[in-house]
Amino acid sequence: MPDDVLALFRTRLGLEEVPPEGPFVPPETLPDIVAALKEMGFLLFLYCAATHWPATENRPEAFTVAYGLRRPGPGSSTARLRVRIPADGSIPTLSGLFAGADWQEREQYDLVGIHFEGHPDLRRLMLPEDWEGHPLRKDYAIDTHHFPWR
Amino acid sequence: MAVDETSRTFVHPLYGWLEKIPGLSVGLTTADAVLSWGLEHSLWVFPMATSCCGIEFMATMTSRFDMDQFGTFTRPTPRQCDVMVVAGTITVKMAPRVKRLWDMMPEPRWCVAMGSCAISGDFYRNLYAVVPGVDTFIPVDVYVPGCPPAPDHVHAGMHVLMEKIRQVRKGTFRPNADPAAREGLLRPSIPRIGDPDRDPALSRAQAEAAFRMDPGCQVTPRSEDERDVP
Repeated sequence: MPDDVLALFRTRLGLEEVPPEGPFVPPETLPDIVAALKEMGFLLFLYCAATHWPATENRPEAFTVAYGLRRPGPGSSTARLRVRIPADGSIPTLSGLFAGADWQEREQYDLVGIHFEGHPDLRRLMLPEDWEGHPLRKDYAIDTHHFPWR
Repeated sequence: MAVDETSRTFVHPLYGWLEKIPGLSVGLTTADAVLSWGLEHSLWVFPMATSCCGIEFMATMTSRFDMDQFGTFTRPTPRQCDVMVVAGTITVKMAPRVKRLWDMMPEPRWCVAMGSCAISGDFYRNLYAVVPGVDTFIPVDVYVPGCPPAPDHVHAGMHVLMEKIRQVRKGTFRPNADPAAREGLLRPSIPRIGDPDRDPALSRAQAEAAFRMDPGCQVTPRSEDERDVP
């Protein structure tokens, strides 16, 4: 990641070391940091990818959402950041800042079941409307019966 | 060495059914033979192409492979078609749409499952969103295996379908004629259309799911298990 992004993460989050896959950002400060990155020229919303972490003896059930932003033009660079929320938590939506975040957040809601707060139209994107459950969660059985087609 | 074209004899498809009256230049045949000949030589195809088999099907329909020579070409609407070629993986969300398009096709109609995904789901078979074979919700007449099948395989499959239509109309078609050939096959977990163990409620639920997408629709769903042969 470029130096100005590293400096932003260090000052805003109070970090010494920023991991290359992106620092963990508290969910409530995510819109401010992404807005600051957009001011710095990161105009392209690359991805929003969620992961489900099932509960183990060391930690409770949690979700991680990774974001990627790109600064287009000569010498283009990528800024990466992550958000970790508990099982019943939610993340403020970025669809107000980036129009392209709308469907990406709908996809993550559909497949992993992340609740994006303030999203204008949080519906399923890929699966049928009457589908039950979120299939990319680790506790979703792959051969779950879906009547009448399976 | 040049081939002498004049020495080749042209055998008309109706030749086997023609009966000549001695002394007259008149050929007689049954009306059914003419109807059957017309039926099998005007198979208009509705391409239900969802993935890479669809690309291979486009290649099949080009002039290089010349499917027009026996009257097979594609139409963009199910209302004008006789054969639905299902080419590609069918997902749970797509399946009611396929069923609905199938119900729009006029009788008599046939279905060709092209490629492993349409036949059995292939390696997506156990995936949560994939239907394990289109014959779980529409009756399939000819299976063309391959991943994807080459154009000449589709060509051969259409000829098998023509042979089937001919035999069905003559009354000589015997489904499952060779039980020994089916002995080594695994019994599918989901009963196919036409399987005696299949619950009729499953067919009814699938038809209702397809027709539920359009609440104002006046067409009543009909069970595929009671379909009459052409």
